[in-house]
Amino acid sequence: MTATQSLLFALLTPLASAALIAFFLRRRGALASYVSVAAAAAIFVFTVLAIRGMGEGVVASWDWLTFGNFNVSMGFLFDGTSATMLTMVAFVGFLIHVFSLGYMADDKARARFFGGLSIFMFSMLGIILADNLIMIFIFWELVGFSSYMLIGHYLDTEEAAAAAKKAFIVNRIGDLGFLVGIVYAYWHFGTTNLSEMQGIVAANSELISATIAALLACGFIGKSAQFPLHVWLPDAMAGPTPVSALIHAATMVAAGVYFLIRITFLFPESILCGIAILGTSVAVYAGFCAYGQNDIKKILAYSTLSQLGYMAAAFGLGYPGIALFHLITHAFFKALLFLGAGSIIHGCHHEQDIFKMGGIFKKMPVTSITFLLGVLALCGVYGFSGYFSKDAILIAAGLQGNVLFTLLTIGALLTAGYMGRLVWIVFFGKPKSEAAEHAHESGVAMLLPLIILAVLSVAGGYLSLWPEQLGQIIRDSKDDLHHLAGYDAMHFRVAILGSFAAIFGLLCSLLFYGWGASEDRLEKKAGPVYGFLKARLWFDEIYGYYVAKIQQRLANLLSVLDIFLIKGVLVRGSAGVVGIFSMASKSLHVGNIHGYVYWFLIGMIFFWVVATGLF
Amino acid sequence: MTIGLNAFLLVSGLLFAIGLLGVILRRNTLVIYMSLELMLNAVNIALVAFSRYNGTMDGNIFVFFIITVAAAEVAVGLAIIVALFRRRQSVMVDQLNALSR
Repeated sequence: MTATQSLLFALLTPLASAALIAFFLRRRGALASYVSVAAAAAIFVFTVLAIRGMGEGVVASWDWLTFGNFNVSMGFLFDGTSATMLTMVAFVGFLIHVFSLGYMADDKARARFFGGLSIFMFSMLGIILADNLIMIFIFWELVGFSSYMLIGHYLDTEEAAAAAKKAFIVNRIGDLGFLVGIVYAYWHFGTTNLSEMQGIVAANSELISATIAALLACGFIGKSAQFPLHVWLPDAMAGPTPVSALIHAATMVAAGVYFLIRITFLFPESILCGIAILGTSVAVYAGFCAYGQNDIKKILAYSTLSQLGYMAAAFGLGYPGIALFHLITHAFFKALLFLGAGSIIHGCHHEQDIFKMGGIFKKMPVTSITFLLGVLALCGVYGFSGYFSKDAILIAAGLQGNVLFTLLTIGALLTAGYMGRLVWIVFFGKPKSEAAEHAHESGVAMLLPLIILAVLSVAGGYLSLWPEQLGQIIRDSKDDLHHLAGYDAMHFRVAILGSFAAIFGLLCSLLFYGWGASEDRLEKKAGPVYGFLKARLWFDEIYGYYVAKIQQRLANLLSVLDIFLIKGVLVRGSAGVVGIFSMASKSLHVGNIHGYVYWFLIGMIFFWVVATGLF
Repeated sequence: MTIGLNAFLLVSGLLFAIGLLGVILRRNTLVIYMSLELMLNAVNIALVAFSRYNGTMDGNIFVFFIITVAAAEVAVGLAIIVALFRRRQSVMVDQLNALSR
């Protein structure tokens, strides 16, 4: 099998699985879940085959739609970057599928859930492999749809339905910019093919357009939940936990960053700088927000936001490889953390409030140990995967300037702080509710993915352990960084500061919140501060006000225009004219033979008059 | 004594007028039908008379056609009226107004 065929199979297997489930297995949840997991396993196998046969890379393209001389093609651009991303998605995706077998075992709508996972895998693979902007956009919308479907899995709860809608609509705003960007890029370059655009830009760097880059970055802002479109991600936690792990931590939100990495060559200095500032501010902002949350999944969601900010910052600083590096390590440990949270939630009978947990460590040892490893990786403790990627980002920032460096280090400190808060409250002390009292360790299907991901979270940062074909762009970026003046001093400084931030954050949270605290000390001691953090800068309120007071009024105005002008005059009016004619002609139809005879006579006379020229 | 063309045309015209009035005024389908035949034959008389006075055969040939068509039409028309009566127990046109409802 050639690499192209392997890729095609990897892409189409989950689609086939989704179709099978949607058409035949809707009422057979168990079978549907096995089909979906088998499809995920197949993706991984085909991915391995494709990578072994890829050589220098795979480029393949098929015409899909042709309008005149405008041609939309579907194709693969399978290089080192996409191979790295594909391996991560296939592997983490497979583990999360396996975890879902255990987590969703009692769910009534299992078939719908696993069908959704399959269609998501299909769409995600499409984004990774796509060779042109239009194809990326199509699959981009498809992941948006699968995200919508899976967030709203518990569709009988108000919260899930609203969150799904919110995620979809907020993403639409970003995607509008993306779409305009694609059209502009086509107009500007005459193609949307990534390799061709890269060739054009390489030949003449004056063709790089800040407008196009900014518009395309809008898609990233929506999908990766950056300012000001970040509001959907915390709400998206209303979905099942494996979905949060797969879509809203490891893969889909990271697809925004991956997309930026794919089109790095289109970005001029100014836009890169903007993205770096944006990412840094999100990293710090989300770090603060996490302190105001009591829901274990929402804390992790803000942590994801913050880490996405780090990736954006790395990209903006001009090191796409390091952004990819952090994306991959983050996928490992954040998937681990979400799955661990899922295991805890499952064990505690769907209790999500951290202040109602406590003492989990004794009840669920395997989950707890793997979770703690994930926390250490996220905090960037020396030797764990997060250390390598986050420190690379900090070094890059440090060599660039002091402001971003300081902010990102504060972000690291905040990360350690809120994760420490979560750890001390959830895992230690005494159980603080009935549910936590009866917590039980999860089954093998849930523990196995946790253990594998824990191993990856620890070891994933050692690039020398990675297969040779993967991660070339990461090594290149790291080499670039190495060759900068002052690297060694900065490396030393970051290693000290980063470790200090991690340890200090964890310790401070222990001292402040206490071992297995039953209430939020910050809320009690400094209510206004806590309230401020909980309010998350009032983004939701501002958007709510805007939608209700401004947009709704405009919509009402347009609705009036619609009702009077289009519906009243144009539609009703034209129908009315026809109606009057029909009423007139209907009155001729009397149903009596004599009536028709008179009409016949009148017709005869009329023709006679015309024929004789009297008229 | 020779009878002039005008006399024939007068008879023809009278017959046609009677037929037309019958069609317009009578309510019985059968009578309307007879009136229609009357109008056809009025035309026949006119055609034969024209033929005779012009000394050509055109009108006569036309009359043969009309008689043939009228015979066929009677066969079909009477059958329709019989079928109509069987179905509705009436051949009065003012009761045959289902189309207006």
